[in-house]
Amino acid sequence: MSNFNRTQRNPLELVTIIPDKKPHIFIKKDSVCAKECENKPCTYYCPSRVYYWEDDSIKVLYERCIECGACPYGCPYDNIAWQFPGGGYGVVY
Amino acid sequence: MGNDRYNAVVVGAGPAGSTAALMMARNNLSVALIERGKYPGSKNMTGGTIASMPFQQILPEYWNIQGIPLERRIVSDELWLLDNDSAVRIGFTGKKFGMAPYNKHTILRYKFDRWYADQAVKAGAKLFTSCLAVDLVYHKTGPLSKKVDGVMLEGGDVIHADVVILAEGAQAALTQKAGLRKRLKPNEMTLYVKEVLELPAEKIEDRFNLEKDEGASIGMVGYPPSPAIGKGGIWTNRDSLSIVVGGYLNQIVGKGLNPLQLLERFKGHPLVKRLIQGAKPVKYMGHIIPKGGFKKIPTLVDDGIIVVGDAAEMISGRRGMDLAMITGKYAAEAAAQACALDRYGRDILSSYEERVKGSFFYQNMKKGKNVEVYFNKFQDADFLITKAMNDFAYKYFEQNLDTDKNNLRKMLEELINMQPLGKSAKDVLSGLQNWGVL
Repeated sequence: MSNFNRTQRNPLELVTIIPDKKPHIFIKKDSVCAKECENKPCTYYCPSRVYYWEDDSIKVLYERCIECGACPYGCPYDNIAWQFPGGGYGVVY
Repeated sequence: MGNDRYNAVVVGAGPAGSTAALMMARNNLSVALIERGKYPGSKNMTGGTIASMPFQQILPEYWNIQGIPLERRIVSDELWLLDNDSAVRIGFTGKKFGMAPYNKHTILRYKFDRWYADQAVKAGAKLFTSCLAVDLVYHKTGPLSKKVDGVMLEGGDVIHADVVILAEGAQAALTQKAGLRKRLKPNEMTLYVKEVLELPAEKIEDRFNLEKDEGASIGMVGYPPSPAIGKGGIWTNRDSLSIVVGGYLNQIVGKGLNPLQLLERFKGHPLVKRLIQGAKPVKYMGHIIPKGGFKKIPTLVDDGIIVVGDAAEMISGRRGMDLAMITGKYAAEAAAQACALDRYGRDILSSYEERVKGSFFYQNMKKGKNVEVYFNKFQDADFLITKAMNDFAYKYFEQNLDTDKNNLRKMLEELINMQPLGKSAKDVLSGLQNWGVL
Protein backbone atom coordinates (compact mmCIF):
# COMPACT_ATOMS: atom_id res chain seq x y z
CA MET A 1 0.00 0.00 0.00
CA SER A 2 2.97 2.32 0.15
CA ASN A 3 3.06 2.85 -3.56
CA PHE A 4 0.35 4.19 -5.84
CA ASN A 5 1.43 3.58 -9.37
CA ARG A 6 4.22 1.06 -8.90
CA THR A 7 6.72 3.16 -10.81
CA GLN A 8 6.16 6.37 -8.92
CA ARG A 9 7.03 7.62 -5.50
CA ASN A 10 4.52 7.64 -2.70
CA PRO A 11 3.00 11.15 -2.57
CA LEU A 12 2.17 10.72 1.08
CA GLU A 13 5.87 11.22 1.75
CA LEU A 14 5.10 14.87 0.98
CA VAL A 15 2.26 15.05 3.49
CA THR A 16 2.36 15.50 7.25
CA ILE A 17 -0.44 13.65 8.99
CA ILE A 18 -0.93 13.41 12.74
CA PRO A 19 -3.36 10.51 13.02
CA ASP A 20 -6.06 10.78 15.65
CA LYS A 21 -6.03 7.98 18.19
CA LYS A 22 -9.43 6.81 17.05
CA PRO A 23 -10.58 6.42 13.44
CA HIS A 24 -12.75 9.07 11.82
CA ILE A 25 -13.87 6.92 8.89
CA PHE A 26 -16.16 3.91 9.03
CA ILE A 27 -17.77 1.55 6.57
CA LYS A 28 -21.42 1.47 7.51
CA LYS A 29 -22.22 -2.09 6.37
CA ASP A 30 -19.55 -4.50 5.15
CA SER A 31 -22.16 -6.62 3.42
CA VAL A 32 -22.98 -3.74 1.03
CA CYS A 33 -19.38 -3.64 -0.18
CA ALA A 34 -19.21 -7.40 -0.48
CA LYS A 35 -22.54 -8.10 -2.13
CA GLU A 36 -23.80 -4.95 -3.84
CA CYS A 37 -20.78 -2.91 -4.85
CA GLU A 38 -19.25 -4.23 -8.00
CA ASN A 39 -16.40 -1.81 -8.70
CA LYS A 40 -15.34 -0.71 -5.19
CA PRO A 41 -14.62 2.82 -6.51
CA CYS A 42 -13.37 4.03 -3.11
CA THR A 43 -10.25 1.97 -3.80
CA TYR A 44 -9.37 4.26 -6.73
CA TYR A 45 -11.04 7.68 -6.44
CA CYS A 46 -9.54 8.41 -3.02
CA PRO A 47 -6.50 10.64 -3.67
CA SER A 48 -4.50 9.12 -0.83
CA ARG A 49 -5.65 5.50 -1.14
CA VAL A 50 -7.24 5.16 2.24
CA TYR A 51 -9.33 2.17 1.12
CA TYR A 52 -8.37 -1.27 -0.03
CA TRP A 53 -10.18 -4.52 -0.61
CA GLU A 54 -9.02 -7.60 1.27
CA ASP A 55 -10.67 -10.71 2.64
CA ASP A 56 -14.14 -9.75 1.40
CA SER A 57 -14.28 -6.37 3.04
CA ILE A 58 -13.08 -2.81 2.55
CA LYS A 59 -10.26 -1.95 4.91
CA VAL A 60 -9.81 1.67 5.97
CA LEU A 61 -6.38 3.18 6.57
CA TYR A 62 -7.70 6.37 8.15
CA GLU A 63 -4.12 7.38 9.04
CA ARG A 64 -3.57 8.16 5.34
CA CYS A 65 -6.57 10.48 5.00
CA ILE A 66 -5.85 14.00 3.66
CA GLU A 67 -9.44 15.13 4.38
CA CYS A 68 -10.34 16.03 0.80
CA GLY A 69 -13.98 15.32 1.61
CA ALA A 70 -14.80 13.23 -1.47
CA CYS A 71 -15.30 9.73 -0.10
CA PRO A 72 -18.74 9.94 1.49
CA TYR A 73 -20.10 11.51 -1.72
CA GLY A 74 -18.29 9.27 -4.18
CA CYS A 75 -19.50 6.02 -2.62
CA PRO A 76 -22.39 4.86 -4.83
CA TYR A 77 -24.07 3.18 -1.85
CA ASP A 78 -23.60 5.99 0.67
CA ASN A 79 -21.80 3.40 2.75
CA ILE A 80 -18.93 5.54 4.07
CA ALA A 81 -19.35 7.48 7.30
CA TRP A 82 -16.74 10.21 7.39
CA GLN A 83 -16.28 12.88 10.03
CA PHE A 84 -13.54 15.34 10.88
CA PRO A 85 -10.67 13.92 12.90
CA GLY A 86 -10.28 15.46 16.34
CA GLY A 87 -9.07 19.07 16.62
CA GLY A 88 -5.37 19.36 15.81
CA TYR A 89 -5.21 15.87 14.32
CA GLY A 90 -5.14 14.76 10.73
CA VAL A 91 -3.45 16.45 7.80
CA VAL A 92 -1.17 19.47 8.37
CA TYR A 93 -0.22 21.20 5.12
CA MET B 1 -12.84 28.39 27.18
CA GLY B 2 -15.76 26.28 28.42
CA ASN B 3 -19.08 28.06 28.75
CA ASP B 4 -17.71 31.45 27.72
CA ARG B 5 -20.08 33.82 26.00
CA TYR B 6 -19.29 35.99 22.97
CA ASN B 7 -21.24 38.23 20.65
CA ALA B 8 -20.24 35.92 17.83
CA VAL B 9 -18.50 32.64 17.27
CA VAL B 10 -17.04 31.90 13.85
CA VAL B 11 -16.48 28.27 12.87
CA GLY B 12 -13.47 27.98 10.58
CA ALA B 13 -10.50 30.33 10.15
CA GLY B 14 -10.28 30.37 6.36
CA PRO B 15 -10.75 33.46 4.17
CA ALA B 16 -14.50 33.68 4.97
CA GLY B 17 -14.19 33.06 8.70
CA SER B 18 -11.20 35.29 9.32
CA THR B 19 -12.81 38.10 7.33
CA ALA B 20 -15.99 37.83 9.40
CA ALA B 21 -13.97 37.73 12.65
CA LEU B 22 -11.79 40.66 11.61
CA MET B 23 -14.71 42.86 10.58
CA MET B 24 -16.74 42.07 13.71
CA ALA B 25 -13.78 42.65 16.01
CA ARG B 26 -13.26 46.02 14.33
CA ASN B 27 -16.87 46.78 15.23
CA ASN B 28 -16.03 46.04 18.87
CA LEU B 29 -17.92 42.77 19.01
CA SER B 30 -16.46 40.01 21.15
CA VAL B 31 -15.52 37.24 18.74
CA ALA B 32 -14.34 33.65 19.10
CA LEU B 33 -12.75 32.26 15.94
CA ILE B 34 -12.34 28.52 16.09
CA GLU B 35 -10.25 26.36 13.80
CA ARG B 36 -10.02 22.58 13.84
CA GLY B 37 -6.53 22.54 12.31
CA LYS B 38 -3.28 22.95 14.20
CA TYR B 39 -3.12 26.41 12.69
CA PRO B 40 -5.30 28.30 10.19
CA GLY B 41 -4.56 27.11 6.66
CA SER B 42 -3.23 23.74 7.74
CA LYS B 43 -6.15 21.93 6.06
CA ASN B 44 -6.64 24.11 3.02
CA MET B 45 -6.05 23.94 -0.67
CA THR B 46 -6.59 26.71 -3.17
CA GLY B 47 -6.99 27.50 -6.83
CA GLY B 48 -4.13 29.88 -6.30
CA THR B 49 -5.06 33.54 -6.37
CA ILE B 50 -6.76 36.21 -4.34
CA ALA B 51 -8.29 39.06 -6.28
CA SER B 52 -7.20 42.56 -5.40
CA MET B 53 -10.45 44.44 -5.83
CA PRO B 54 -12.55 42.28 -3.48
CA PHE B 55 -9.76 41.89 -0.92
CA GLN B 56 -9.28 45.63 -0.80
CA GLN B 57 -12.85 45.97 0.42
CA ILE B 58 -11.51 44.46 3.62
CA LEU B 59 -7.87 45.51 3.74
CA PRO B 60 -7.22 48.53 1.47
CA GLU B 61 -3.77 48.39 -0.13
CA TYR B 62 -3.19 45.04 1.53
CA TRP B 63 0.09 44.60 -0.36
CA ASN B 64 1.65 47.28 1.83
CA ILE B 65 0.82 45.51 5.08
CA GLN B 66 3.92 44.29 6.87
CA GLY B 67 4.49 40.56 6.65
CA ILE B 68 1.67 39.68 4.26
CA PRO B 69 2.65 36.39 2.60
CA LEU B 70 1.87 37.21 -1.03
CA GLU B 71 3.64 35.13 -3.65
CA ARG B 72 3.45 36.82 -7.07
CA ARG B 73 1.34 39.39 -8.91
CA ILE B 74 -0.40 37.71 -11.81
CA VAL B 75 0.30 39.58 -15.05
CA SER B 76 -0.23 36.70 -17.42
CA ASP B 77 -3.35 34.54 -17.69
CA GLU B 78 -3.63 31.79 -20.24
CA LEU B 79 -6.08 29.11 -21.27
CA TRP B 80 -4.58 26.12 -23.02
CA LEU B 81 -6.67 23.67 -25.01
CA LEU B 82 -4.29 20.80 -24.43
CA ASP B 83 -4.15 17.75 -26.66
CA ASN B 84 -1.73 14.80 -26.63
CA ASP B 85 1.31 16.68 -27.95
CA SER B 86 0.02 20.16 -28.76
CA ALA B 87 -1.81 23.11 -27.31
CA VAL B 88 -3.92 25.93 -28.66
CA ARG B 89 -3.16 28.84 -26.35
CA ILE B 90 -5.34 31.80 -25.59
CA GLY B 91 -3.79 34.32 -23.29
CA PHE B 92 -3.25 37.82 -22.10
CA THR B 93 -0.32 39.55 -20.50
CA GLY B 94 -0.81 43.00 -19.06
CA LYS B 95 2.02 44.95 -17.40
CA LYS B 96 -0.56 47.13 -15.66
CA PHE B 97 -1.57 44.12 -13.57
CA GLY B 98 1.99 44.05 -12.25
CA MET B 99 1.59 47.49 -10.66
CA ALA B 100 -0.59 48.65 -7.76
CA PRO B 101 -3.51 48.14 -7.33
CA TYR B 102 -2.72 44.85 -9.13
CA ASN B 103 -5.32 42.36 -10.32
CA LYS B 104 -4.62 39.23 -8.31
CA HIS B 105 -1.89 37.67 -6.23
CA THR B 106 -0.94 34.05 -5.90
CA ILE B 107 -0.87 32.80 -2.33
CA LEU B 108 -0.16 29.60 -0.44
CA ARG B 109 -2.93 28.92 2.01
CA TYR B 110 -0.77 27.43 4.76
CA LYS B 111 1.03 30.77 4.93
CA PHE B 112 -1.75 33.16 4.02
CA ASP B 113 -4.58 31.85 6.24
CA ARG B 114 -2.29 31.89 9.24
CA TRP B 115 -1.36 35.50 8.62
CA TYR B 116 -4.94 36.50 7.88
CA ALA B 117 -6.35 34.94 11.06
CA ASP B 118 -3.64 36.83 12.90
CA GLN B 119 -5.05 40.10 11.53
CA ALA B 120 -8.40 39.17 13.11
CA VAL B 121 -6.60 38.43 16.38
CA LYS B 122 -4.83 41.80 16.24
CA ALA B 123 -8.23 43.44 15.80
CA GLY B 124 -9.40 41.73 18.98
CA ALA B 125 -10.83 38.35 17.99
CA LYS B 126 -9.92 35.34 20.08
CA LEU B 127 -8.53 32.45 18.05
CA PHE B 128 -8.79 28.85 19.22
CA THR B 129 -6.84 26.32 17.15
CA SER B 130 -6.98 22.50 17.28
CA CYS B 131 -10.59 23.17 18.21
CA LEU B 132 -13.33 21.12 16.59
CA ALA B 133 -16.99 22.16 16.81
CA VAL B 134 -19.16 19.06 16.68
CA ASP B 135 -22.62 20.51 17.12
CA LEU B 136 -24.73 23.63 17.43
CA VAL B 137 -26.42 24.52 20.69
CA TYR B 138 -29.85 26.12 20.76
CA HIS B 139 -31.70 28.43 23.09
CA LYS B 140 -35.47 28.37 23.39
CA THR B 141 -37.01 31.67 22.38
CA GLY B 142 -40.68 30.63 22.71
CA PRO B 143 -42.82 27.55 23.13
CA LEU B 144 -42.11 26.40 19.58
CA SER B 145 -39.15 28.48 18.54
CA LYS B 146 -35.45 28.34 19.17
CA LYS B 147 -32.34 30.10 18.01
CA VAL B 148 -28.79 28.93 17.54
CA ASP B 149 -26.90 30.08 20.60
CA GLY B 150 -23.40 28.70 20.23
CA VAL B 151 -21.40 25.63 19.37
CA MET B 152 -20.46 22.50 21.24
CA LEU B 153 -16.85 21.42 21.03
CA GLU B 154 -15.60 17.85 21.11
CA GLY B 155 -15.33 16.94 24.76
CA GLY B 156 -18.55 18.77 25.53
CA ASP B 157 -17.44 22.34 26.23
CA VAL B 158 -19.79 24.97 24.85
CA ILE B 159 -18.97 28.38 23.43
CA HIS B 160 -22.10 30.49 23.67
CA ALA B 161 -22.71 33.29 21.21
CA ASP B 162 -25.54 35.49 20.07
CA VAL B 163 -24.65 34.79 16.46
CA VAL B 164 -22.90 31.75 15.00
CA ILE B 165 -21.21 32.21 11.65
CA LEU B 166 -20.47 28.96 9.85
CA ALA B 167 -17.37 29.31 7.70
CA GLU B 168 -16.50 25.66 7.90
CA GLY B 169 -15.65 25.10 4.25
CA ALA B 170 -16.68 22.65 1.58
CA GLN B 171 -17.57 19.71 3.82
CA ALA B 172 -20.01 21.86 5.81
CA ALA B 173 -20.81 19.33 8.54
CA LEU B 174 -22.64 21.75 10.85
CA THR B 175 -24.44 23.51 8.00
CA GLN B 176 -25.89 20.15 7.01
CA LYS B 177 -26.63 19.25 10.61
CA ALA B 178 -28.57 22.50 11.00
CA GLY B 179 -30.65 21.48 8.00
CA LEU B 180 -29.52 24.52 6.00
CA ARG B 181 -27.72 22.66 3.26
CA LYS B 182 -28.79 19.57 1.38
CA ARG B 183 -26.37 16.77 0.75
CA LEU B 184 -24.58 17.27 -2.55
CA LYS B 185 -24.58 14.63 -5.26
CA PRO B 186 -21.28 13.51 -6.78
CA ASN B 187 -22.11 15.41 -9.98
CA GLU B 188 -22.40 18.57 -7.88
CA MET B 189 -18.81 18.66 -6.75
CA THR B 190 -15.34 18.46 -8.21
CA LEU B 191 -12.32 16.72 -6.72
CA TYR B 192 -8.90 18.24 -7.29
CA VAL B 193 -5.40 17.16 -6.34
CA LYS B 194 -2.42 19.45 -6.25
CA GLU B 195 1.31 19.44 -5.89
CA VAL B 196 3.59 22.29 -4.90
CA LEU B 197 6.99 22.02 -6.57
CA GLU B 198 9.99 24.08 -5.51
CA LEU B 199 11.90 25.91 -8.19
CA PRO B 200 14.28 28.88 -7.82
CA ALA B 201 12.67 32.25 -8.55
CA GLU B 202 15.01 33.07 -11.45
CA LYS B 203 14.14 29.81 -13.17
CA ILE B 204 10.43 30.51 -12.77
CA GLU B 205 10.88 33.98 -14.25
CA ASP B 206 12.88 32.63 -17.19
CA ARG B 207 10.49 29.82 -17.93
CA PHE B 208 7.27 31.82 -17.68
CA ASN B 209 8.67 34.98 -19.23
CA LEU B 210 8.26 37.12 -16.13
CA GLU B 211 10.04 39.87 -14.30
CA LYS B 212 10.73 39.79 -10.58
CA ASP B 213 7.54 39.40 -8.48
CA GLU B 214 5.40 38.93 -11.60
CA GLY B 215 3.38 35.75 -11.89
CA ALA B 216 1.61 33.63 -14.49
CA SER B 217 -1.38 31.36 -14.35
CA ILE B 218 -2.34 28.76 -16.94
CA GLY B 219 -5.68 26.96 -16.96
CA MET B 220 -5.92 23.89 -19.16
CA VAL B 221 -8.80 21.88 -20.54
CA GLY B 222 -8.92 18.72 -22.61
CA TYR B 223 -6.05 16.37 -21.89
CA PRO B 224 -5.37 16.96 -18.17
CA PRO B 225 -8.52 15.47 -16.61
CA SER B 226 -9.70 13.41 -19.59
CA PRO B 227 -11.75 11.32 -19.90
CA ALA B 228 -13.45 13.27 -17.12
CA ILE B 229 -14.63 16.85 -17.46
CA GLY B 230 -12.50 19.13 -15.40
CA LYS B 231 -9.41 21.24 -15.60
CA GLY B 232 -5.73 21.26 -15.07
CA GLY B 233 -3.72 24.25 -14.06
CA ILE B 234 -0.30 25.51 -13.23
CA TRP B 235 0.68 28.78 -11.63
CA THR B 236 3.68 30.47 -10.14
CA ASN B 237 4.43 31.18 -6.50
CA ARG B 238 7.50 33.05 -5.29
CA ASP B 239 9.86 30.09 -5.49
CA SER B 240 7.53 27.25 -6.25
CA LEU B 241 4.96 26.15 -8.81
CA SER B 242 1.51 24.82 -8.06
CA ILE B 243 0.03 22.21 -10.35
CA VAL B 244 -3.53 20.94 -10.04
CA VAL B 245 -5.83 18.60 -11.88
CA GLY B 246 -9.31 17.31 -11.21
CA GLY B 247 -12.86 17.10 -12.35
CA TYR B 248 -16.40 16.17 -11.51
CA LEU B 249 -16.50 13.48 -8.84
CA ASN B 250 -19.22 11.42 -10.54
CA GLN B 251 -17.01 11.14 -13.61
CA ILE B 252 -13.87 10.28 -11.67
CA VAL B 253 -15.85 7.54 -9.94
CA GLY B 254 -17.72 6.41 -13.04
CA LYS B 255 -14.72 6.37 -15.35
CA GLY B 256 -12.45 4.56 -12.94
CA LEU B 257 -9.94 7.37 -12.49
CA ASN B 258 -7.40 7.81 -9.74
CA PRO B 259 -6.70 11.51 -9.13
CA LEU B 260 -3.04 10.93 -8.43
CA GLN B 261 -2.63 9.04 -11.68
CA LEU B 262 -4.26 11.96 -13.48
CA LEU B 263 -1.73 14.26 -11.86
CA GLU B 264 1.24 12.07 -12.80
CA ARG B 265 0.01 11.81 -16.38
CA PHE B 266 -0.55 15.58 -16.55
CA LYS B 267 2.94 16.23 -15.20
CA GLY B 268 4.31 13.91 -17.86
CA HIS B 269 2.69 15.80 -20.76
CA PRO B 270 5.46 17.04 -23.07
CA LEU B 271 4.35 20.68 -22.83
CA VAL B 272 3.88 20.56 -19.07
CA LYS B 273 7.02 18.58 -18.31
CA ARG B 274 9.23 21.39 -19.58
CA LEU B 275 7.54 23.88 -17.26
CA ILE B 276 8.16 21.79 -14.15
CA GLN B 277 11.51 20.30 -15.18
CA GLY B 278 13.86 20.04 -12.21
CA ALA B 279 11.25 21.30 -9.75
CA LYS B 280 11.09 19.37 -6.51
CA PRO B 281 7.69 18.19 -5.24
CA VAL B 282 7.25 19.32 -1.63
CA LYS B 283 3.49 19.14 -1.00
CA TYR B 284 0.66 16.91 -2.09
CA MET B 285 -2.94 17.91 -1.39
CA GLY B 286 -6.49 17.08 -2.36
CA HIS B 287 -9.87 18.69 -1.87
CA ILE B 288 -13.44 18.86 -3.11
CA ILE B 289 -15.11 22.03 -4.40
CA PRO B 290 -18.88 22.31 -3.99
CA LYS B 291 -20.36 22.92 -7.44
CA GLY B 292 -24.03 22.67 -6.66
CA GLY B 293 -24.35 26.08 -8.27
CA PHE B 294 -27.20 28.48 -8.15
CA LYS B 295 -29.95 25.92 -7.69
CA LYS B 296 -28.29 24.35 -4.67
CA ILE B 297 -27.36 27.45 -2.68
CA PRO B 298 -28.14 26.56 0.94
CA THR B 299 -30.42 28.49 3.24
CA LEU B 300 -28.07 31.32 4.16
CA VAL B 301 -29.52 32.47 7.48
CA ASP B 302 -31.69 31.22 10.28
CA ASP B 303 -32.33 32.37 13.83
CA GLY B 304 -28.92 33.11 15.31
CA ILE B 305 -26.91 31.65 12.44
CA ILE B 306 -25.30 32.74 9.15
CA VAL B 307 -23.54 30.57 6.56
CA VAL B 308 -20.65 31.97 4.47
CA GLY B 309 -17.99 30.94 1.94
CA ASP B 310 -17.66 27.39 0.66
CA ALA B 311 -20.08 26.14 3.32
CA ALA B 312 -22.66 28.35 1.58
CA GLU B 313 -21.40 27.09 -1.80
CA MET B 314 -20.31 30.55 -2.81
CA ILE B 315 -18.43 29.42 -5.87
CA SER B 316 -18.76 31.11 -9.24
CA GLY B 317 -16.65 29.73 -12.04
CA ARG B 318 -13.03 30.01 -10.96
CA ARG B 319 -13.82 32.34 -8.09
CA GLY B 320 -14.23 31.16 -4.52
CA MET B 321 -11.82 32.79 -2.08
CA ASP B 322 -12.87 36.33 -2.90
CA LEU B 323 -16.53 35.39 -2.62
CA ALA B 324 -15.69 33.83 0.73
CA MET B 325 -14.19 37.13 1.86
CA ILE B 326 -17.10 39.20 0.59
CA THR B 327 -19.70 36.94 2.19
CA GLY B 328 -17.65 36.99 5.41
CA LYS B 329 -17.78 40.78 5.32
CA TYR B 330 -21.52 40.88 4.67
CA ALA B 331 -22.10 38.43 7.50
CA ALA B 332 -20.02 40.53 9.90
CA GLU B 333 -22.06 43.60 9.04
CA ALA B 334 -25.34 41.76 9.55
CA ALA B 335 -24.08 40.41 12.88
CA ALA B 336 -22.98 43.87 14.02
CA GLN B 337 -26.39 45.25 13.14
CA ALA B 338 -28.08 42.42 15.06
CA CYS B 339 -25.90 43.07 18.10
CA ALA B 340 -26.73 46.79 18.00
CA LEU B 341 -30.43 45.92 18.03
CA ASP B 342 -29.87 43.01 20.43
CA ARG B 343 -32.08 40.92 18.15
CA TYR B 344 -30.73 37.84 16.43
CA GLY B 345 -33.71 36.43 14.57
CA ARG B 346 -33.83 35.44 10.98
CA ASP B 347 -35.68 38.65 10.13
CA ILE B 348 -32.72 40.76 11.27
CA LEU B 349 -29.93 38.53 9.92
CA SER B 350 -31.63 38.25 6.55
CA SER B 351 -30.01 41.58 5.66
CA TYR B 352 -27.03 39.29 4.89
CA GLU B 353 -29.08 37.22 2.49
CA GLU B 354 -30.39 40.32 0.75
CA ARG B 355 -26.88 41.65 0.20
CA VAL B 356 -25.73 38.33 -1.20
CA LYS B 357 -28.72 38.30 -3.53
CA GLY B 358 -27.90 41.81 -4.70
CA SER B 359 -24.25 41.01 -5.36
CA PHE B 360 -22.44 40.66 -8.68
CA PHE B 361 -21.44 37.08 -7.95
CA TYR B 362 -25.03 36.04 -7.26
CA GLN B 363 -25.93 37.36 -10.71
CA ASN B 364 -22.99 35.47 -12.18
CA MET B 365 -24.01 32.28 -10.45
CA LYS B 366 -27.55 32.72 -11.71
CA LYS B 367 -26.26 33.13 -15.24
CA GLY B 368 -24.17 29.98 -14.94
CA LYS B 369 -26.91 27.88 -13.43
CA ASN B 370 -27.23 25.57 -16.41
CA VAL B 371 -23.63 24.54 -16.39
CA GLU B 372 -24.33 21.15 -14.83
CA VAL B 373 -26.99 20.53 -17.46
CA TYR B 374 -24.35 21.29 -20.03
CA PHE B 375 -21.87 18.87 -18.50
CA ASN B 376 -24.49 16.14 -18.33
CA LYS B 377 -25.66 16.71 -21.90
CA PHE B 378 -22.30 17.42 -23.48
CA GLN B 379 -20.00 15.14 -21.54
CA ASP B 380 -17.56 14.97 -24.41
CA ALA B 381 -17.69 18.63 -25.46
CA ASP B 382 -14.55 19.87 -23.70
CA PHE B 383 -12.54 17.05 -25.13
CA LEU B 384 -14.00 17.32 -28.65
CA ILE B 385 -13.51 21.07 -28.86
CA THR B 386 -9.93 20.72 -27.67
CA LYS B 387 -9.26 17.94 -30.16
CA ALA B 388 -10.83 19.81 -33.06
CA MET B 389 -8.99 23.04 -32.28
CA ASN B 390 -5.66 21.25 -32.14
CA ASP B 391 -6.31 19.32 -35.37
CA PHE B 392 -7.24 22.61 -37.03
CA ALA B 393 -4.17 24.35 -35.72
CA TYR B 394 -1.90 21.57 -36.94
CA LYS B 395 -3.41 21.92 -40.40
CA TYR B 396 -3.46 25.70 -40.33
CA PHE B 397 0.18 26.08 -39.36
CA GLU B 398 1.45 23.23 -41.50
CA GLN B 399 3.55 24.46 -44.43
CA ASN B 400 2.54 21.87 -47.01
CA LEU B 401 2.60 21.61 -50.79
CA ASP B 402 -1.10 22.03 -51.46
CA THR B 403 -3.19 25.03 -52.53
CA ASP B 404 -4.89 27.14 -49.87
CA LYS B 405 -8.23 26.18 -51.32
CA ASN B 406 -7.51 22.46 -50.99
CA ASN B 407 -6.24 22.92 -47.46
CA LEU B 408 -9.41 24.63 -46.40
CA ARG B 409 -11.48 21.87 -47.99
CA LYS B 410 -9.45 19.22 -46.13
CA MET B 411 -9.93 21.00 -42.83
CA LEU B 412 -13.68 21.15 -43.34
CA GLU B 413 -13.78 17.51 -44.36
CA GLU B 414 -12.03 16.54 -41.20
CA LEU B 415 -14.51 18.50 -39.13
CA ILE B 416 -17.43 16.81 -40.89
CA ASN B 417 -15.85 13.40 -40.39
CA MET B 418 -15.46 13.92 -36.67
CA GLN B 419 -19.18 14.08 -35.97
CA PRO B 420 -22.33 15.54 -37.56
CA LEU B 421 -21.77 19.22 -38.25
CA GLY B 422 -24.92 20.22 -36.37
CA LYS B 423 -23.64 18.50 -33.25
CA SER B 424 -20.29 20.28 -33.56
CA ALA B 425 -22.00 23.63 -33.90
CA LYS B 426 -24.11 22.90 -30.83
CA ASP B 427 -21.04 21.72 -28.90
CA VAL B 428 -19.13 24.89 -29.67
CA LEU B 429 -22.03 27.19 -28.94
CA SER B 430 -22.99 25.59 -25.64
CA GLY B 431 -19.32 25.28 -24.76
CA LEU B 432 -18.76 29.00 -25.23
CA GLN B 433 -21.91 29.82 -23.27
CA ASN B 434 -21.07 27.58 -20.37
CA TRP B 435 -17.40 28.37 -20.16
CA GLY B 436 -18.56 31.89 -19.46
CA VAL B 437 -17.18 33.33 -22.68
CA LEU B 438 -20.53 34.42 -24.13
